Amino acid sequence: MSDKPHDFIDQYQAWVRDGVQAWSRQFDPQGVPTEMPSADIMGRLFAGLGGFGDWMQSFAGGQSPMGAFGHGGPGMPPFGYGPPPGAGAPDRERFDEWAKAANEALSLPAFGLTREQQEEQQALIRAWIDYAGHYQRYQTLLQGVHERANAALREQGPPTDAESMRSVYDRWVNLAEESYAEAALSAEFREVYASLVNAQMHLKMLQQRQVERAATQAGMPTRTEVDSLGERLQAVRRELRHMQSLKAEVEALRAEVAALRGAAAPAKAATKAKAAKPANVARAAAPAKTAKSANAAKPAKPAKPAKPAKAAKR
Amino acid sequence: MNLPPFPFDPQRAQAEMEAFRRKLEAGMEALKRVGPIELGTTPREAVYTEDKLTLWHFKGDTPPTSKTPLLICYALVNTPWMVDLQEDRSMVRNLLAQGEDVYLVDWGYPDGADRWLTLEDYIDGYLDRCVDAIRARHGIDALNLLGICQGGVFSLCYAALHPEKVRNLVTMVTPVDFHTPDNMLSHWARNVDIDLFVDTVGNVPADVMNFAYLTLKPIRLNQQKYVGLVDILDNPKELENFLRMEKWIFDSPDQAGEAFREFARDFFQKNQLMSGEARIGGRPIDLKNITQPVLNIYAEQDHLVPPAASAPLGDLIGSDDYTALAFQGGHIGIYVSGRAQKLVPPAIHTWLADR
Repeated sequence: MSDKPHDFIDQYQAWVRDGVQAWSRQFDPQGVPTEMPSADIMGRLFAGLGGFGDWMQSFAGGQSPMGAFGHGGPGMPPFGYGPPPGAGAPDRERFDEWAKAANEALSLPAFGLTREQQEEQQALIRAWIDYAGHYQRYQTLLQGVHERANAALREQGPPTDAESMRSVYDRWVNLAEESYAEAALSAEFREVYASLVNAQMHLKMLQQRQVERAATQAGMPTRTEVDSLGERLQAVRRELRHMQSLKAEVEALRAEVAALRGAAAPAKAATKAKAAKPANVARAAAPAKTAKSANAAKPAKPAKPAKPAKAAKR
Repeated sequence: MNLPPFPFDPQRAQAEMEAFRRKLEAGMEALKRVGPIELGTTPREAVYTEDKLTLWHFKGDTPPTSKTPLLICYALVNTPWMVDLQEDRSMVRNLLAQGEDVYLVDWGYPDGADRWLTLEDYIDGYLDRCVDAIRARHGIDALNLLGICQGGVFSLCYAALHPEKVRNLVTMVTPVDFHTPDNMLSHWARNVDIDLFVDTVGNVPADVMNFAYLTLKPIRLNQQKYVGLVDILDNPKELENFLRMEKWIFDSPDQAGEAFREFARDFFQKNQLMSGEARIGGRPIDLKNITQPVLNIYAEQDHLVPPAASAPLGDLIGSDDYTALAFQGGHIGIYVSGRAQKLVPPAIHTWLADR
C-alpha cells in the first residue's frame, strides 16, 4: 500500500488515461487494431470517467473541482465549434496584452492591390479577439457557478464517515446542476451566451469568406455557389408543386363543369318536351328527378305558358 | 474558492476506488461482447417516400380494430425511433396492441440539398402528402394525427391549415408557449442572431444541436451518466438499454437550415403560437381553426418542454373537446419508461375510441 493518500486516485487516472490512449489508437492508421467496442461510446465513457477522476483529485486536495462546465468540461464541443485559440490558456494575460496591441494595429487602413484582402484579414483577427473576449466572459460566469456549488456543499457540512466518495460526488453534482440551472436562466447568462454564439458565428463567417476567396482563385466551386443553386432549385420545386396543384384543381373544375353540362342537357330536353306536350308533364318529370339537384325542375316552370295551348284548342 | 480537504479514510477510499476500477475493467469485456445496436423493432413497410422522407406503416400481431388510422408526426430533431426503441419499450407496439392502425413520418437525414426546405415545405408539403397518401389508402376524409415535441407544433399548424383532414389531434410534450420562465433552451436562444447563425452554418449540424442539449445539464449528462454506466456494465440487458438510448441520442439528423431559421425565430424567439402571429408559407396559423377533439399529453418532469409550455394549448384552440393529460416523468421517459408503456398508449387509445 502506498504511503501517499492520493496515490490510488493517480492510479485510477493513469488507468483512465491508458483507456483513452487505447481508444485513440483505433483512429491511428499506424496503430495495432484493437478489439475495443464502439469508438463513440468509449470516447464518451472515458471522457466522463476522466472528469470523475479530476473531481476526486481536486476534491481530495481541497481544491475546487474545475472544468466541469461548458467548453472546458466533459463532452467537448463539436469540431470547429470549440474555444478560440488563446482563450483560457495559462498565459491568458499575455494574450490580452497582445490582443490590445493587435487591435490598435488593426485600426490602420489598408492599401494597394490587396487592400480588400488586408481588410478581410483585419476583420478576421478582430473577430477572433472579440470571440476570445466573449468566451472569457462566459468562463467567468461558469466559474461563479462552481463557486456557488462548492459554497453550497460546504454549507451542508463535511461528509460523514459513512459516506463514500461516490455519494459525495453525486451530492456535489446535484448542487452543481442546481447552481448551473439558476445561472443559466438569468438575464446575464442569456446575454453572455448569445454574445458568445454570435461572436463565434461572425468569426466562422469571415473564415469561410477567406476560404471561398482562395477556392475561387483556385478555380474550385464554393459553398455560396452551391447554396445559390440549391435555393433556386428549391424555389423551382415549390413552384412546380404549386403548378401541379393548380393543374389538379383545373382538372377537377373541368370535370365538374362537364358533369353540370351533362346534367343540364337532359333537363333542357325535358323543358322542351314539357313545353311542347303539356299532357305529358307527369311522365317527363320522372327522369327530371335525377336532375333535381341541378335545378332542372325550375326551368320546367316556364311550361306554364303552355296555357296558350288551351287557347289553341279553342 | 477551495473546499476544506475531504476527510476520508485513505484505506476505505482506496478500497472504494479499487472496487470501481475492477468493475470498470470487467465491464470492458462486457462492452466488447455487445453486438450492433438496432432501433425500431416493430415490423413495418414503407408506403410512401419522397426525397429523404419515408412514411412507415406498422404491422401488429393482429389486424387493427380502429377504423381511423393514426399518423405519428415526430420532430425533425433526433430520429423518430424513440417511439419504437426496443420490443419492450415501444409506444408503437403498444398502440398496435390496443388496436390502432399506426403510421409514422420518418423525416430522414437532411444534407446540403435540403438546406432550403422551409417549414412550409415540411408541414404543407411533406406532411400534407403523407396525410393524403394515408387518406387515399384508406378511402377516408380525415385521420387521427399524433404530434410529438416539435412534431406536435407541426401537427398544430397542420390541423389549423387543414382541419378537414384531421379527425382527432393528439399532442405529446408539445411546446406552445416558448417563453415560460423555466424554458432554458428558449431562454438561451432569445438573443442569438439566428440569421447570422443559419447563414454561417447552413444546415445546423446534429453535433451542435446535441452539444446544446447536453449543456442543459452538463455534468449530469456528460460525466455522471458515464460514471453510473460502470454500475450496470455487469448487467447485459441494462447495458444494452443504455447503449440503445445512447445511439438514439447521438445518431441524430442535421437540421435543414431554413426550417431551423423559421422555427427558432418564429417560435423560440417570437413565441408566435401564443401571439397568434404564426404563419406557414405566408398563411396565418389560426389555432381557433382546430375544432376537432384534442388530447394534450405533457410530462411533469420535462426539462426540454416544461409542462407550463404545453398547458396553455386548451385556451388557444377552437375545440370544445379538449383533454389535458399530465404524465409523471420526463421528456423521454414518457415513451420509454415502464410506467409509460402501461399508461400512455391505453390512454391514447381509449380517448380516440371514445370519439
